[in-house]
Order: sequence, then structure tokens, then C-alpha cells
Amino acid sequence: MDKSTIVCRCEEINVDEIETAMKNGAETFDDIKRLTRCGMGPCQSKTCLNPVREIIAEYTGKPLADIRISRMRMPLKLVRMSALTNGSEGGNVASVFGESVEDGETNDE
Amino acid sequence: METDLLIIGGGPAGLHAALTADRAGARVVVADESFSLGGQLRQQTQWLSNLPGQYGYGKKRGTWVNEQLINQVGASNVQVLKKHTMIGSYLNGNIGVSDGDKTFEIQSRKNIIAPGAQEEAKVFPGWTLPGVMTAGAAQILINREKVLPGKRAVMVGSNDFSLEVARQLNSCGITVEAIVEEKNQIICSDGELVKTLENVPVYTNSTIEIVTGAGEVEHVVIQTPDGLKEVNVDLVCIANGFSPILEPFEIMNCHFVYQKELGGWLAAYNIHLQTTNPSCYIAGNAAGITDFGSILLTGEIAALSALEAMGFISSAEGTEQKSRCWRELANLESEKVLQARTEMLADYHQKHELDLPDYFMKIKGGKMYG
Amino acid sequence: MHISEHPVLKEKSNEKVFFYFNNHRLEAKKGQTVAAALMANGIRKLGVSRKLSQPRGLYCSNGRCTSCFVTINGLDHVISCTTLVENNMQVFSNNNDPEIRGEKYGN
Repeated sequence: MDKSTIVCRCEEINVDEIETAMKNGAETFDDIKRLTRCGMGPCQSKTCLNPVREIIAEYTGKPLADIRISRMRMPLKLVRMSALTNGSEGGNVASVFGESVEDGETNDE
Repeated sequence: METDLLIIGGGPAGLHAALTADRAGARVVVADESFSLGGQLRQQTQWLSNLPGQYGYGKKRGTWVNEQLINQVGASNVQVLKKHTMIGSYLNGNIGVSDGDKTFEIQSRKNIIAPGAQEEAKVFPGWTLPGVMTAGAAQILINREKVLPGKRAVMVGSNDFSLEVARQLNSCGITVEAIVEEKNQIICSDGELVKTLENVPVYTNSTIEIVTGAGEVEHVVIQTPDGLKEVNVDLVCIANGFSPILEPFEIMNCHFVYQKELGGWLAAYNIHLQTTNPSCYIAGNAAGITDFGSILLTGEIAALSALEAMGFISSAEGTEQKSRCWRELANLESEKVLQARTEMLADYHQKHELDLPDYFMKIKGGKMYG
Repeated sequence: MHISEHPVLKEKSNEKVFFYFNNHRLEAKKGQTVAAALMANGIRKLGVSRKLSQPRGLYCSNGRCTSCFVTINGLDHVISCTTLVENNMQVFSNNNDPEIRGEKYGN
């Protein structure tokens, strides 16, 4: 396929940019995300999750089953700042910035 | 807000679970992000077979079953929150929802998370152009919105859903110019369905080379074993299968497993449809891409488990009812999906050192477990 | 284009709604989403992408892909496939990221 084909529709990241990130050491979706913004747009990788995983699998030669998903964070869906603050009850929101999963630990079964 | 059982997702699995829990006397809240209930069942006009016993054994249209579910929920004590989206969780484990104006937490004793499936993308040059959409989106437009998404279409993919949508587009007057399949044969297992589309050219071993147009789809180039084929169309539908929706489970700290035949990654669960987060149960296509009957039955099993855990039904009744559901599911579900599901369940139970109950081992005369 | 006679489903209501897209008055049916109402009027390009300014339209129709962003009654980045059309709604193409550093926000 043409390497200039867009994979992440939101941030407009193409196949070449994803492969370049891997050439530069990216191994996981999250590595690619941090290097390119792939999957960091308004849909938060809901659309490109598996297309990117397939590109990683092809590039690394690993089976798809070994390619993990990207880390998903709150808010899970597009929401206005006003809706997050206006009329919100003052509960403690579970960690947004800190990771509940330690470095290197996954929540795989 | 406070309730016994919170159900995220008002599609068939969520609604069926809600009705099961309501009948046992639990207080139930269903939160759904859409302006109407029914999820993806709302636009399934095709006949569904293999429905669980309570819908009769005959064929029914998906839209008809949807109406039944919605009417039953309307006549029940289930509290429905439309246009409420789950956006996260609180430190105390409560789920946070937003209606667009405000955000609040719902305190529940148990949750059933039934967000359904998403359609898998297929990436090719030009797939971002207006007029390229998922097959499900085209189906929503014709059946829910009563709007034609185009006049001439190319269908990318030849699975059961691709061909069903192609047939429905056709019946609304849209000409399907080509079905493009990258494998060497049509994937659809329904011979009758394939026959209804016998006049449509099918290109196997083929891919989309490029989709072009000035601001929207006008032209598609298909790479076939016999060279490039070009068609002028205004609609390209992508039907590349489904995968379970994951993000609500990640936020609830549920563990994931990979099971190709269930749609790839999904939240792991035991035979009670309970995830690794003991307060969260899973149901419907999120628990593995399957047929409609099994979607309803997983909802029922999840509800029975939650009811049992909360003390609304006895453990003996729970076991009896769940055993009935699993037997029914084993009879309805396709062999391949059932095999993958039971394999996943057996792994889970072994890993967590949980016994598989006798009734489960005996399903299909114990054949599933060799 | 609207489907006048659906092969399976009976029309429940034919109540009309009038709204505006980029200041043009358009007709829709009550109960339709904004994205579908625009499509019924032959409008498929709903905006442009944020970096390369390429055309974008409805893709997933389920509120997940955000490809169908429009501006509605002054609010930017509204997902048009999950928003019902209303009388006198002012809909505009999504042509930029929202201006968050402007005067309106005191910056």
C-alpha cells in the first residue's frame, strides 16, 4: 500500500510516519502515539486501533495476538469542559494523570 | 444517583439484562449514549433466526424484536437515562456519566457493561473522503434515517454483514457496482444471501487501490488479479468485521485477553460473565462478537449473576437459570465462536483456580471439553 | 435524498423541520440526525481535517470516529451523527479547530 495513506484520521498520521516511529525505536502503539500523535485526536484511537496494530504486526513480524492495544484514558468520550465542571458532584475521579498500572506491567490476563 | 444494578449500554444485551433484573425486583438504571434505545438493533431490518425460546422459534425482524424490548422496558420499573455517556470512573469505583451539560456519578452495587462492538476500519488511499463509510453507517442511513447515502456503491468485504447491507442498499434502489474481497473467495456463509446478489460483480483476491473525487467519492480503482478495474460510484462501504468495544473495561481496571474468533482483544470473564473487576459484568458483543440470540443470552446470564451476588435470587435458582441459558447458547451459537468462547472460559477458570460447574462441563454432552 | 418508500419499514411521521447549513435554509424530517439531514440534502462534505484541511464527512455514524464534526448554534466540534436536527438550528461546516485563545475566553 502507498505509504502516504492516512491511518489515523484525526491526527492524519500515515503509514510512513508510523513505520518511521518504529525505525526510531517505537515498539508499542503507545510508543508510536507519543512520537507521532497517532491515536491522540478527538476519537482517541477508537478508529485506528486495529489498523495500527496490524502495521506493527507486519513491521515486527509478530503475531497480532502479541500486539497490545493502546492505553485508553478518561474521558472515554468527547465531553465539554463545562460538562465536566458545571454541576458536577465533588467525587474523587480515579487517576487521570497517574497510571493505575505500573510501568512495564500490563493488565493482560 | 444510586441503584442496585447499573447497565451501561441500552442495546439488546443491556435491555434484556435490565428486564431480567427488573423481574427479580432489583432497582435498575440503564444509561445509553444515544437519543433512543436499541443500539445497533434499531436498524437490523433483516430476519433473525435462532432466537432464544422466549421470542418463539420462528424468524423475526431485528427491528421487530427491538420494538418488543423497548416496549417491555417502558412497561417495567427500569430507569432509562438516554443521552448519558459513560466517561470514566471515580476513586470509589462508581461510574461517571455525562449528559453533555453535567457529569455525575452513579453509585451501584453491581454494573453490567454492554457497550457492544465497533466496525473495523479498512485503510486504503482515499478512505477519509466523504462518501466512504462503514457498512453499518450506510445501514443506519437507509433504515433509521430513511436517507440514501449514494446512488452507486462499492462494498469492501464479503462477510455476512457486508452482503446483508449490500442487499439492503440494493432494495432501497442503490446499485452495488462491485464487492471487493481480499481473500480468494466470498466469506459469506449464507448461500441464499449470496444468491440475492448474483448480478453484482465480485472481485476476489482484490483490494482498493485508491478512491478519488473532488471533495467526495467519485471514482474507485480496484486492484484485481486481472489488473486495475475502475468504477464511478459515490459510495464506498467498508465492512471489515467487528471487534468488542474495550474502553469502558479498561477504565474499570478489567483485564483483557486476545481471542481471534471472538473479535480480537476483549475483557476477560468467567462463566458468570463477571470480569476481573468483581463488580463489573460483561454482556453482548463486547463479550465476543456473536449472533443475536447469544447477545441476549449473555445479557441474561450477566443479570442472573449480578442478581445472585446481590441476593435477589438464591444461588440454587441462579445456577438453574444460568445452566438453562448456557445450554440454549451452546445450541444457538456458531460452532467456531462457541469453541473460542469455551476455550477462553476454561483458560480463565484454570488461571483463577475456579471450578467449572458440572452443568457447564455437560454442555453438548461434554463434547466441548474433549 | 430521502427514501420515500422504504422496502420494509413504515413511515411513522412526516413532520418537517427547517434548519440552516452555512446560512442556507434546508428541510429535514423530525427525528433525523444533523448528519443524515445534511446527506438528505446532498451535502456530504461536513468539514475539513485539522492538519491537512482534507474533506471529511460521516464515517461511523455511531459517535465514535468524530469525522462528522460540525458547528451547531455556535458550539464547535459537535458530533453531527448523534445529534438530532431541530427547527432553526444553525449548522456550519467544521473548518478549523475551535479558537480557544481568543478574546471570548479572556486570553
